Amino acid sequence: MHWRGDVLGFVARLVVGGVWVVAGLLKLPDPAQNVRAVRAYQILPEAVVPLLGHALPIIEIVVGGCLLLGVLTRVAGIVSMVLLSAFIIGISSAWARGLSIDCGCFGGGAGPAANAQAAYPWDIARDAGLLLLSAWLVWRPHTLWSVDAKLMPLEA
Amino acid sequence: MMASKRSTSTRRADSQAASARAAAIRKEQERKERRRRNLVVTGVSLVVLVLIVVIATVVQSSRDTTGATASAPSGAVGRYAVPAGPPSAPVKVTVYEDFICPFCGQFEAASRTALQKDIEQGKVQFQYHVLNFLDRSSSTHYSTRAANALAVVLDKSGPAVAKQFHDLLFENQPQENSAGLSNDQLVALAVQAGAKKADVQKGIDDLEFQQWVKNVTDQASRAGVNSTPTVRINGKTVDAVTTADLVTKVEQAIAAG
Repeated sequence: MHWRGDVLGFVARLVVGGVWVVAGLLKLPDPAQNVRAVRAYQILPEAVVPLLGHALPIIEIVVGGCLLLGVLTRVAGIVSMVLLSAFIIGISSAWARGLSIDCGCFGGGAGPAANAQAAYPWDIARDAGLLLLSAWLVWRPHTLWSVDAKLMPLEA
Repeated sequence: MMASKRSTSTRRADSQAASARAAAIRKEQERKERRRRNLVVTGVSLVVLVLIVVIATVVQSSRDTTGATASAPSGAVGRYAVPAGPPSAPVKVTVYEDFICPFCGQFEAASRTALQKDIEQGKVQFQYHVLNFLDRSSSTHYSTRAANALAVVLDKSGPAVAKQFHDLLFENQPQENSAGLSNDQLVALAVQAGAKKADVQKGIDDLEFQQWVKNVTDQASRAGVNSTPTVRINGKTVDAVTTADLVTKVEQAIAAG
């Protein structure tokens, strides 16, 4: 048993899982707002924008919940990495094109256009950090105090 | 060459080796059993989680009524805008704003007097798209209530009174992250602008045009408007960093005709 890996994994689960659950819960109350936030990035075709706008907070809460509890940790880690990569690409694209949008990540909407650009590097840095923690969990999914350990024990 | 009779220690070693092998085989079987069981548990868990996501997404989607049919207030221009000024005016200025947005308040305060003259002289028609996307900036969905109130006033009392009411709403703009003006205060301002209380009270209290306001906000998003105030002159967005800059450019465009 790699106990150091287990503890670090436990902390990673709490941090990444906590962030996802909070982000999802903040978005839940206003579904129309989230559709607008997705549309503002001008990356996806309009046909999928409403679907993604509605599904995203749900996916975030479910992934976050799985990580917090340690359920299907590796799968949740992979989904987390996919989402974060998509966000990093989206924000970078908006930044490169000079779009002014408040990052829709934490349920935010619009504000003064000037501030949006300044926030991009910080948003990307934050998502990159979470991406690294998620990658750790994909690599070492056996962590301290997880439901996985009860459901799918390694030893009899 | 082995002796046919084996010594005790050899027999013991052989039997130990045999049970060790048997134990290893058992352990291997148990491992395979466990792996199969874990796969089943994983599979079932995944199916359950996916089902949860699908059902919850459907529920979330049903909470979003954007795009549902809603009649516009009579007097609205282009289905989504509150007009100020004659339709024959050579310059059309579209303004996307939210009644609790402080930058919109600044823009209105800086431009109101000069632009009122231009409107009266028929040089320009303003088309206000009043949005509710800052609803979460108040505890009472003030953006929706104020935009709805404007629609009610336009519908019941006409564009001239509506323009007055619009200006009064910005002159009395509440702070962001406050409760905003109450419905009774909105009615009082409407009366001050020239509306009859009996005409507008019910529409303001009942959020008569709430769905229309949601659709106006959706249309703005589809038109690429993501911050307020956004001003477009004859369809082209005015690029400006400061409020003063914005006002100057609008006035120049109107003067140019």
